Amino acid sequence: MLKGKTYIKASTAEQALSLARENNGRVRYFAGGTDVMVNRFQGNDLADLLIDISEIQALKEVFASDETLAIGSLISLDDLAGHSTVCDHFPVLAEAVKSVASPTIRKTATLGGNLLCGNRCSYFNQSEWWREASGYCLKSSGPVCLASGGSKHCFAKFVSDMAIVLISLNACVELLDFSGTSIKPLESIYTGDGMAPRGISPESIIKAIRIPLNHHISSVYKKLRKRATLDFTSLTTAVSVKKAGSIRIVLGGVHAKPVIVDGKAGDDLKALAAAAVSQSRIVDNDTYSRKYRKDMIIVFLERSFKELQLG
Amino acid sequence: MQQINISINGKQFHLLATEHETLAHLIREKAGLTGTKIGCEEGSCGACTVLVDGKAVLSCITPALRCDGSEVTTIEALAKDGKLHRLQELFVEKGAIQCGFCTPGMVLTALSLAPALIRETDSSALIRKVKEGLSGNLCRCTGYKKIIEAVAGYVKEISATTVSKSSPFKPAHAIKGGVGIPRPYLEAEKKVRGAAEYADDIVLKNSLHCKFLRSIHSHARIEHIDVSEAMIMQGVHYIATGREIPGKFGVLPISQDETAIAVEKVRYAGEIVAAVAADTEEIAAEACRLIRVKYKPIREFLTIEDSLNDAGENERIHETGKFNNNIHKKAELRFGDQQQGIKEAEFTSKMSFEFEGLSHGFTEPHAATAYWDENGLTIITATQVPHYLHRALAKVMEVPLSRVRVIKPYLGGGFGGKSDPFPHEIIVSHLSRKTGRPVRVRLSREEVFLTNHGRHPSKMTVEMGISGEGTIKVLDADVAIDGGAYGSFGVVTSYYNGVLLQAPYKLDNFGFRTYRVYTNKPQCGAMRGHGAVNSRFAVESLIDDLAIKIAMDPCELRMKNFLDSNTLTVGQYRITSNGSRESLQKVMDLSGWKDRRGKLEKGRGLGVACGFFISGSALPIIWNELPQSVVHLKLDFDGRVLVTSGSSDIGQGSDTMLAIIVSEVLGIGMDKIFVLAADTLLTPVDFGSYSSRVTFMAGNAAKDAALILKKEITEALVIKHNINPGELNFSDDRIYSNDTTTNLSWMEAVEILTAKRGAVSVSGKYISPKLGGDFKGAGAGLSPSYSFGACIAEVEVDMETGYVKVTDVWGAHDCGKALNPLAVEGQLEGSWHMGTGQAISEQMKYYKGLLLNNNFLEYKIPTSVDTPDIHASIIETIDPEGPFGAKEAGEGAIHPVIPAIANAIFNATGVRITSLPVSAEDILAKMKENHLAE
Ligand SMILES: Cc1cc2nc3c(=O)[nH]c(=O)nc-3n(C[C@H](O)[C@H](O)[C@H](O)COP(=O)(O)OP(=O)(O)OC[C@H]3O[C@@H](n4cnc5c(N)ncnc54)[C@H](O)[C@@H]3O)c2cc1C
Ligand code: FES
Ligand code: FES
Repeated sequence: MLKGKTYIKASTAEQALSLARENNGRVRYFAGGTDVMVNRFQGNDLADLLIDISEIQALKEVFASDETLAIGSLISLDDLAGHSTVCDHFPVLAEAVKSVASPTIRKTATLGGNLLCGNRCSYFNQSEWWREASGYCLKSSGPVCLASGGSKHCFAKFVSDMAIVLISLNACVELLDFSGTSIKPLESIYTGDGMAPRGISPESIIKAIRIPLNHHISSVYKKLRKRATLDFTSLTTAVSVKKAGSIRIVLGGVHAKPVIVDGKAGDDLKALAAAAVSQSRIVDNDTYSRKYRKDMIIVFLERSFKELQLG
Repeated sequence: MQQINISINGKQFHLLATEHETLAHLIREKAGLTGTKIGCEEGSCGACTVLVDGKAVLSCITPALRCDGSEVTTIEALAKDGKLHRLQELFVEKGAIQCGFCTPGMVLTALSLAPALIRETDSSALIRKVKEGLSGNLCRCTGYKKIIEAVAGYVKEISATTVSKSSPFKPAHAIKGGVGIPRPYLEAEKKVRGAAEYADDIVLKNSLHCKFLRSIHSHARIEHIDVSEAMIMQGVHYIATGREIPGKFGVLPISQDETAIAVEKVRYAGEIVAAVAADTEEIAAEACRLIRVKYKPIREFLTIEDSLNDAGENERIHETGKFNNNIHKKAELRFGDQQQGIKEAEFTSKMSFEFEGLSHGFTEPHAATAYWDENGLTIITATQVPHYLHRALAKVMEVPLSRVRVIKPYLGGGFGGKSDPFPHEIIVSHLSRKTGRPVRVRLSREEVFLTNHGRHPSKMTVEMGISGEGTIKVLDADVAIDGGAYGSFGVVTSYYNGVLLQAPYKLDNFGFRTYRVYTNKPQCGAMRGHGAVNSRFAVESLIDDLAIKIAMDPCELRMKNFLDSNTLTVGQYRITSNGSRESLQKVMDLSGWKDRRGKLEKGRGLGVACGFFISGSALPIIWNELPQSVVHLKLDFDGRVLVTSGSSDIGQGSDTMLAIIVSEVLGIGMDKIFVLAADTLLTPVDFGSYSSRVTFMAGNAAKDAALILKKEITEALVIKHNINPGELNFSDDRIYSNDTTTNLSWMEAVEILTAKRGAVSVSGKYISPKLGGDFKGAGAGLSPSYSFGACIAEVEVDMETGYVKVTDVWGAHDCGKALNPLAVEGQLEGSWHMGTGQAISEQMKYYKGLLLNNNFLEYKIPTSVDTPDIHASIIETIDPEGPFGAKEAGEGAIHPVIPAIANAIFNATGVRITSLPVSAEDILAKMKENHLAE
């Protein structure tokens, strides 16, 4: 059963932030809540103070200027996929949305929540009873990582599908924290440490996601999973090519953070794919084996290259 | 606690909600609206879907406080002025409702989906979008087909610019006719309204809640349990440990090896070690955390190999067997001469196979409430076998059978997973006795997985030989099955793995040996297709291989070897009607087998397989002379026939089946029939819903009872009207003589019957004929009748990723006679859906005895978008002893579909599948090997 003491709705980002300040940052923002609620049910999220930010209207807007498309972080995934401005510029975003969770969940789940959805592992996303019975993995404050059979580093996989495609589009996040507002490349908020995968302070609020326009980008998105719906990723790939020639490859589900390989037209594509594989840190924490997921990186990337008519 | 104002179904509620309470909990427990179901609590099944301000949300992951000021719509609000919403009507009409547990969530999801699909004019695009839209809602019964039809039908209706006159909705009881008329279940309306009460929906006043502390070790001695800290917690009423209820039980009299709570030692991680009764679930759960248990872990046995071997110095799981190992049961039978068979065979094939364990995946988690009063113990529980639970409770509670009452409410599916007496049922009975209050329990989805009783993980080596002309000469199977920590149905499972291979093909030389071992994992038991699903897979794969070796069409090879009707198998099963040939021919025709096979594009393939199954076991589990089923009918002045039966409708439609039979015999409409099943105080004994016995056995008992009642009525009329009894006809609510000089309405006849006598009660029964040989083991798999069937599957394999998509299943099943064709189709479609899951995605994965995927996110039941297009054909052969010719239709159909899929993969890729579920990785690796070998 759920534990905890307080649930407050914030009506502005500033109000949410000041609540966080009053509680020394020991809060859990709650957007759609589709990730938070499950983590709480499993006893993996024990925060007492839940600040529901889902009703902050100002963070649901979409603006397009000449250079940037700014998407409010609290837009629901469903609304995002149906937003004509977004789809006109980046049809790949709608495609990626449709690969997340289930249609009903996407009506509630938000884009910002997706970017900060918890890293996952078969040994961690379990009930408290299970984690105790297994001897607690590293991420559950145990001595070693069970997925890798004893490592001292946690590679709970990065599962946000939207982050993968957004990073391939060179997206930035607009953050609000105690020191004010800042804009950072999206990839910079991920640490690569499965234990503490977010490189932002706990009170930080993602206000918007900004994607540069006019790069004439074409993108290909792919996701590996057992069922054609519901399932978290076993491997997500996004490859985007700018008209000017740069190529960006981003992988999800194969490391505790997104794996990024940048290249340019004319590069040896095999070498780019190989670089992606060598940067990945896959452990056996998924329904598919380590080896298979690794092999599939190449298959997915080669297919993407072909679809993008590279090489 | 915070007060919230929430409008639910237009009514204003002012409720106190705790800070982190879910909307599902608030709706069910505080607003008392139990139409909203809870299947997983983790956003993975869709059962809890409601509308909040018009938007579909999963109420199990929505905080109640978020909905302060909102308008919530639950399933209960859809029907208006006593009339169903049109979408609900279509769910009923199309037969989209079986157990009905997924239905409320499905209907609300569909309702919120429909408006966006209105502009979709292309039929196949519409179907695709409906499938996508429903893909977060799991249904384990229907294979989604009829649900999709209902939703697509609704969208078409609301899209139509001109209102086409669809015929007005007819509730199930108003549909005329008896046997052979397709009709929805009688209770379908109640289910679609969210009004049908399942075990967890029935809340007795003053109930306590029960939670369990479960072992964190797979095999350990319990050295000490300290409940003192938990006991003093406010709100805790009682804490039970194993020694208090040490009585052993188990569904089979030969494996009474289980206690309700572990005594002295635990045999699997997840076994119950203590149970708390408290004011609320939260308090009970918190108290469990305060109980201290000191364990001494001992060596665990986790694999079949481990358990087959000598245990050495180590303590065995059970100390009962003769030898120092963990073998639970060895079964072996040999017929003919296998050595000779191998010699005679010109071609042989021998392969080893491996199968993972499976969960039934019913959507309704186990739940029960028990209480004691002047009549002894009453338990309301989700069970397939009220009768065996009745016996187990009397035994363990140490009360006479006359002091136990088991009430079966509506069930959200079973598939074999609710067919044993369970620890939680015994524990709540015990806690209620100790506290003097009703005690309620509801298992979480994780606990359902730990309770298991699912399909046994199995390993087997099977050999077959055939002549050059394609006659099967020999079949030999060597099987080992992993039973987990306790016996359950395992002895039967052991036999079924072998004996159920002796049909549908003629065999002279046939033998098998099965070992069932205990391991330190949750116990396995009976699951749809019980015992023979995996070994059938092996045999059908070998036949496919042999067909290639002798360059014969695998359908032709099967046709050549089918047993005939009215014959005996090598192990002396009496085969009566047999629709194997018709079934196979049907699927060949419909799939375009002859024209398409071998001509498909790269990566696509077609595969075929056949199967058969029992229609109930001819021998009872507990040896006694009770009939296998008794049905009572009572006819009173109001003209209504009350049918009482101990049979258990778990969503398969058996209540409706009983009504159809009575209606057919007496020639009366369904509006005059009321079925009461099952309540062991009020209803006569039926052995329960397992081994596909209900239609055959309870159906026959109902028919017997109806014929007796008919005779009573006839006799009364003969005296009154002085006519020849042979001349009376019962039909269309009338009773008339051939020359119509006597022509009475049903009510007139009832008046004559009940005059000076009052209500008339009659009793009908079914006792299986004496069957089978007189050798040891001859009774296993004996049935008064067998079903037969065939499947052809088409797959699409991604040659670079190995990903398999099953695109189509054409299936045909000989059910003797379809008493209710809509229900039979539903069973077939559900079987083929479930078989697809076993073939491609479902498995129970363990990490050192701990189940890794104990939830609906990681245990991968196919969703609407993963389920193939299913094309079902019903084959009717009229069984001489089945009620109106009927045989089983609920389990047998799952047998052929799994090997058909595997054989299709072979056809597509040249890779022979020898382990399930199919792994994309293996397919790729083997394709590479084959390529290198070329
Ligand atoms: C059955 C199921 C399947 C799923 N499948 C997928 C999948 O395939 N792919 C996938 O990516 N996800 C999946 N999810 C996870 C989740 O539903 C999504 O990631 C969703 O987009 C999360 O959004 P949310 O708004 O519900 O996040 P929440 O649960 O509200 O929040 C998630 C995290 O982000 C933080 N947060 C939210 N918004 C902000 C903000 N604006 N600023 C700062 N912090 C914020 C929260 O504090 C929390 O830590 C699945 C979930 C379920 C239950
Ligand atoms: S109970 Fe809510 S999704 Fe399963
Ligand atoms: S009818 Fe869908 S789960 Fe039973």
